[in-house]
Amino acid sequence: MASHRVGETGLSDSGPSHHHHHHQHMPYSVLPAYNPPNTGFINQESSSFNFGELEEAIVLQGYKINNDENKLPLYTTVPRPAATLDMFPSWPIRVHQTPRGSNSSTDSGSAVNVAIASKPEAHCHTEPESPISSNSRKTLSEQQLQQQQQHQEIFRQQLQHLQIPEQLEMESEGGSPVTTGGSSHSQQTPKPFSEKRKGIGSTSERTLDAKTLRRLAQNREAARKSRLRKKAYVQQLESSRIRLTQLEQDLQRARSQGLFMCGGAGGGNLSPSAAMFDMEYARWLNEDQRHMAELRKGLQSHLSDSDLRVIVDSFVAHYDEIFRLKSVVAKSDVFHLFTGMWATPAERCFLWMGGFRPSELIKMLAIQLDPLTEQQVVGIYSLQQSSQQTEEALTQGLDQLHQSLVDTIASGSVNDGVHHMAVAVGKLTNLEGFVHQADNLRRMTLHRLHRILTVRQAAKCFLVISEYYGRLRALSNLWASRPREAVMSDENSCQTTTDLQMVQSSQIQFSNFG
Amino acid sequence: MHYQTESWGTYLPPPPPPTTTVNDPLHGMERLASENAVVIFSLKGCCMCHAIKRLFCGMGVNPIVYELDQQPLGKEMEKALVRLLGTNSPVPVVFIGGKLIGGMDRVMASHINGTLVPLLKEAGALWL
Repeated sequence: MASHRVGETGLSDSGPSHHHHHHQHMPYSVLPAYNPPNTGFINQESSSFNFGELEEAIVLQGYKINNDENKLPLYTTVPRPAATLDMFPSWPIRVHQTPRGSNSSTDSGSAVNVAIASKPEAHCHTEPESPISSNSRKTLSEQQLQQQQQHQEIFRQQLQHLQIPEQLEMESEGGSPVTTGGSSHSQQTPKPFSEKRKGIGSTSERTLDAKTLRRLAQNREAARKSRLRKKAYVQQLESSRIRLTQLEQDLQRARSQGLFMCGGAGGGNLSPSAAMFDMEYARWLNEDQRHMAELRKGLQSHLSDSDLRVIVDSFVAHYDEIFRLKSVVAKSDVFHLFTGMWATPAERCFLWMGGFRPSELIKMLAIQLDPLTEQQVVGIYSLQQSSQQTEEALTQGLDQLHQSLVDTIASGSVNDGVHHMAVAVGKLTNLEGFVHQADNLRRMTLHRLHRILTVRQAAKCFLVISEYYGRLRALSNLWASRPREAVMSDENSCQTTTDLQMVQSSQIQFSNFG
Repeated sequence: MHYQTESWGTYLPPPPPPTTTVNDPLHGMERLASENAVVIFSLKGCCMCHAIKRLFCGMGVNPIVYELDQQPLGKEMEKALVRLLGTNSPVPVVFIGGKLIGGMDRVMASHINGTLVPLLKEAGALWL
């Protein structure tokens, strides 16, 4: 048919210009609204052959197929493209098509490799095989299937290409300029180019020598490797994307629950690990509420000791969890932990080494935990003492670190500056050790309390602890939300009323301890 | 002198082979440790070592402190400790009554549990 001949000549003549064309047609998304391929082709057929339009058609079929997948009813039928493309059976690169329909589509990890993948052993060209030419040797249904698959693959690969550096392409094709232009080239490598690359003979003769075979095999290998790399990269991107959306969801949830107050203040200055910790802390606070409710219920309903023990043990594990989380974030962002940016301002004010001061806690508890046996009193008192001594020692160790750091930063001539900074950085790493030991102390103090007290006493004790910190947090929020105008007003009575009103309005449940 | 394997306890599961050289750093450490009630191996400039020193002094104990960077075989001792304890910061390391107690976390745990003071009294480092 006349059109075929036209097509052929068009292809052979406009070899170099193809690439230019292809570049123009690269982005799928900006392709204009497209007439149905059938009519387009039919129109083209009669007039002079427009290769660009053909390319567009082929490209859009892939687009269309993908859109079909996405349920966009742009076009009605899928098999059409194959039928229309079938109108140009002769193609510059003639490839013997082995029946590898399904394999070829799965095999092709890059647009270039669409053709490479479908190249059989007998192929003497490394150029991408034209799916069009292959059609001539298959049944229509087979062609359609393969076409579909190939187009789907091609389109998917286009998307990947847009993100993935071209190097991967380059490797797989051995640096063929055809590939760098974009995947749409894969289907339309001009004949003269192929002939330039291979001085051996046309594929129609099917003459291959060992060197070509080896080269083909190597190309296949490289193509496969680059495909795998690409796959891994895309999977990585996907998983990070999923994780990101999950994190954002968690963040939203935590914010909406109003427990994320301090984090908002920090805002964009949070390191990722700090942000992660803040979120996990918010979740931990929720858990804390749950444990408290359980403890309260357990005490009120006079559960048996063994049942209560289970609840208390889970509470201890709950506290162990926060210490574990803190140790994780200490490794990457010790300052976040140390400066208490994760805590409410009131807590932060009285922070000791990134958390509560154990001896202080025991002092507070001792009053609440009456009645205690003589032995228990002694035990708690000595616990308070040893905790205090350890806190002292750690504080002095930290002071020593501070002093040493000051000396390092202050001293040093201009020449030594960098070295001194490096030394200072080394010294800062010791901070993690101190926070770690402080958290150790907290954890061990809680465990020791758990052992000294009876189950019932321990339940009450942990309830008191959680309640206390809950109240401290509430105080902090209250303080933050107090009306500032009251500060400026000179009527103290007004101020008091406002505060009282605030207290009433904010739903703080000051339940009795135990 | 052979190893008091019980004191190395959890750190050293299998007993070391009987043929230990005299220059074995751990051997040397143990020798030093048995000379006093409370012995701390430390490094100059290590702040955690300072903290542990202050802890003992605060309890009324007078520990003997050996700075490993000022000891002959100090470097080997330090390396041996790293291998033994499996951490990058081997110091401080405390011996009470010639027995290895461990680092800061072990000492702290023992103190919170109330076992440190009896241990010190037993070693003669504390009276009253």
